[in-house]
Amino acid sequence: MVWSALQPVVNWLGGSALGVWLGQSPTRIAILFVVHLAGLTLLLGGTIVMSLGLAGVGFRSGSSAQLAREIGPWRMAGLALAIISGFLIFTGGALTYFEGQWFRRKMTLLLIAVIFNFSWFRIVTNAPDGRFGPWARRLTAGASLLLWFGVGVSGRAIAFF
Amino acid sequence: MPVVEWLHALEQTRISEVVRESAFPYIEGTHVLGLSLSVGMIAWVDLRLVGATMRTRPVSEVYESVQGWMLAGFCLMFVTGALLFVAHATKAYESVFFRAKVAFLLLAGINALIFHWTVNHRTTSWNDAPVPPTAARVAGLTSLVLWLSVIAAGRLFAYDL
Repeated sequence: MVWSALQPVVNWLGGSALGVWLGQSPTRIAILFVVHLAGLTLLLGGTIVMSLGLAGVGFRSGSSAQLAREIGPWRMAGLALAIISGFLIFTGGALTYFEGQWFRRKMTLLLIAVIFNFSWFRIVTNAPDGRFGPWARRLTAGASLLLWFGVGVSGRAIAFF
Repeated sequence: MPVVEWLHALEQTRISEVVRESAFPYIEGTHVLGLSLSVGMIAWVDLRLVGATMRTRPVSEVYESVQGWMLAGFCLMFVTGALLFVAHATKAYESVFFRAKVAFLLLAGINALIFHWTVNHRTTSWNDAPVPPTAARVAGLTSLVLWLSVIAAGRLFAYDL
């Protein structure tokens, strides 16, 4: 239902000058994939570090909130790179991608991961020490890793299944 | 025996056949997401060396916090990478992108060894410095550029398969 409501937008995007221009050239898409992987590395690497900080593994000096301030901008830059390049890759083959089950799963997971990141994950990460117990912090770290790696796994599945 | 014949023989093995015909998506997916643990971890050490993040943390704390995950990540990359190579050994050998990737990997390794032998043993004097001395910053930046090149060459090599 939600997906079929988006169909006209996808049709327009795929038929737009940008969509046609991107779809014409494997080289353009290849470059976008390199950017997508660089963004993924920064985003997932940053997620691992922030989760380690939350779980109290390594990064001993300073709070998890401080670590989030240090890592956060780089991680968000990675997310921005991945989303912008991903949007352009999608635009170059919109109708085909949009039909794919794994593409839809990936987008659903991405939406959940983003919402989780800017709500609960942010609250627990920025909370003063002692506000949340060790298990609440570990579970939050685990959920974050599961969600973001889930996005990655379903992204890889688009290419194969 | 010439290299090409040797690679042909490698492709006749059972393991090569299994990877090529069924395990490829899973091993390739692991290889791509393993970027988060390998390059995704070493990048924080490099960024700290450049003086771009975590300036109030000792360099040694950043290194020790990611060390174990990073080594596990690079082991994972090496094992999955070797399996992917065995599956398509001839095409890999003939691909200019694969050759470039191996060259960048070697250069990244040499850069890390030079840093380890010449700069790193003096870390104690600038371990707490927000911005490390020029030699360390050059080593960090070189590492970042080389690893990004490894990712780019690896992604482009996929088009030669």
